[in-house]
Amino acid sequence: MNPRHSARIGRYLLTFALVVVAVAAVYPLLFTVVSSLKTQAGFAHDPLGLPAGITLENYLEAFRRMNMPRLLLNSLITTLGGLVLSVLAALLVAYAVTKLRFRGGKIVFLLIIVTLTIPSQAIIYPLYQTVLDLGMSGQYQGLILAYAAFGLPLGTYQLAGYFQQVPDELIEAARVDGAGHLTILFRLLAPIATPALAALAIFNFVWMWNDLLLPLVIMGGSDSKTLMVGVSLLSGQYDVSVPLVSAGLIVALLPVLVIYLVFQRQLVSGALAGSGK
Amino acid sequence: MTISTAPVSEPVAADTPPAPARRPPRPGRAREWWLGAALVLPALVLAVLFKLVPLVRGVVTSTESSSGFGGSEFAGADNYTRMFDDPMVLTSFRNALLVVATLPVWIVLPLVLALLIHQRSPGWKFFRAVYFVPYTIAPIVVGIMFRQILAPDGPLNALLRSVGLQPLAIEWLNGRYSALFSLVAVALWSFFGLGVMTYLAGLATIPEETLEAAYLDGAGFFRRLWSVVVPMLRPTVAYWSVLCASGVLIWLFPLIYALTQGGPGDATMLPEYLVFLTTFQFLDRGYGSAIGIALFVFVAVLSIFSVRHMFTEGTRKPR
Repeated sequence: MNPRHSARIGRYLLTFALVVVAVAAVYPLLFTVVSSLKTQAGFAHDPLGLPAGITLENYLEAFRRMNMPRLLLNSLITTLGGLVLSVLAALLVAYAVTKLRFRGGKIVFLLIIVTLTIPSQAIIYPLYQTVLDLGMSGQYQGLILAYAAFGLPLGTYQLAGYFQQVPDELIEAARVDGAGHLTILFRLLAPIATPALAALAIFNFVWMWNDLLLPLVIMGGSDSKTLMVGVSLLSGQYDVSVPLVSAGLIVALLPVLVIYLVFQRQLVSGALAGSGK
Repeated sequence: MTISTAPVSEPVAADTPPAPARRPPRPGRAREWWLGAALVLPALVLAVLFKLVPLVRGVVTSTESSSGFGGSEFAGADNYTRMFDDPMVLTSFRNALLVVATLPVWIVLPLVLALLIHQRSPGWKFFRAVYFVPYTIAPIVVGIMFRQILAPDGPLNALLRSVGLQPLAIEWLNGRYSALFSLVAVALWSFFGLGVMTYLAGLATIPEETLEAAYLDGAGFFRRLWSVVVPMLRPTVAYWSVLCASGVLIWLFPLIYALTQGGPGDATMLPEYLVFLTTFQFLDRGYGSAIGIALFVFVAVLSIFSVRHMFTEGTRKPR
């Protein structure tokens, strides 16, 4: 056993371990895709194997039952609204707290990140009451504002940490050149923080699109309910077959998966940028 | 949308006379304060309206006895004392502690995988991409998916039987402990990719030269891992640990909703699901709010370290 030999065995073991985890990570997804392509009779006959023939009927049926275009639109509006509002608000706070001579800034910063400890589950009824009192129950703005509030603590923390790394001299120089604070924030700092902003945007997109409890309670059974609420309702109907549910699941997860695959590079570099301390 | 317009209109006024801001320092400073106040306003309004106000209302509601569609009356600490005699509540918090006890796995497993990927053996970028895929799938979707995977005749048990592990092919979602175990395992499946990504980001900050130097000094693989990589990775480990500690209970809600509904019996009943159930199914709002406040205290104790960590990170001046 020379060391070179054992190093090679180590390599094989390593690759083997990585492959096993990769299979575990994608198999449930593949299983769902395969199930969604089976007919109901085909699934009953052979639930585990590959389909004898491929059918797209389940997808058409899922679209018919769930009013899919409307659900997709609702999810898109609320997710984008919440994402933009949350990142914008975090951007403004992070600038005020780190780059302005602003007494009380630290307390504001603390107050905002402390709200991280308030999970939506713990306050779900009074939150629902509050949204109701604001007349925003079943309305897009109700869910958008709630998303923005729940995305705020992590966003503020990440951007503040990022701005902290930018030397104050850079800001001073821009001030001397006559740049206003908003110009500095949006023309100077935001471009520098692009990787962090991109990572934050993707992170927010994923959890807002995928969240269940807030839309379930705020949107309820209204026409503005999101895709995830629609999916949860679909799986509760007892006449629904596994292939049909599977098709619904694939439609529900596809948008985020596509976004991730398209923006994968930004996500990686953003994650790298965020941890550079 | 109305909220976000506030800071946009403000700075225009702040921008117009830039010249006199230099000479007398005090008015400039005051204006900077007003600008700062305007900038933090939207975030403050959001945090107060959707987090602090509901929290306070929750505390108030938790002291009222209110059920069904009737009115409510003041009940003092009744709802809280009631919790201590309620086996469902006690079980839910005991289950929560069991879940929290799995945190070391949540912290170590992604670390090991990130270290393996970081060896840059062929195809490491592929593995990095694939490991993140489960995280992009909504937990409610994950839950419904795993209802099939973990079914008594589902693919997992078929696999176990085919490799001769027949006795392990149990009813995963229907046992006193196997249900909670399955729930946590599915949650781990759904979130480990985020941990791997976080750790890889931290690993990327370790300079190659440092490892090179340790290698030339004759340090073996494990020596380098233990003496160089782990100490340099400590901030990342801390960050991921606090994220898991404050998040692990919260992440479970949609999975319980889809997989077990708290059952069998109360085997997978966790506080966050019990709050939902008590409030919206049993319509016992006062009691539901009290359990919610107890959950808030539980999570707050767990995540107080994360907040302290985040505060010092966000306010510390570099170097």
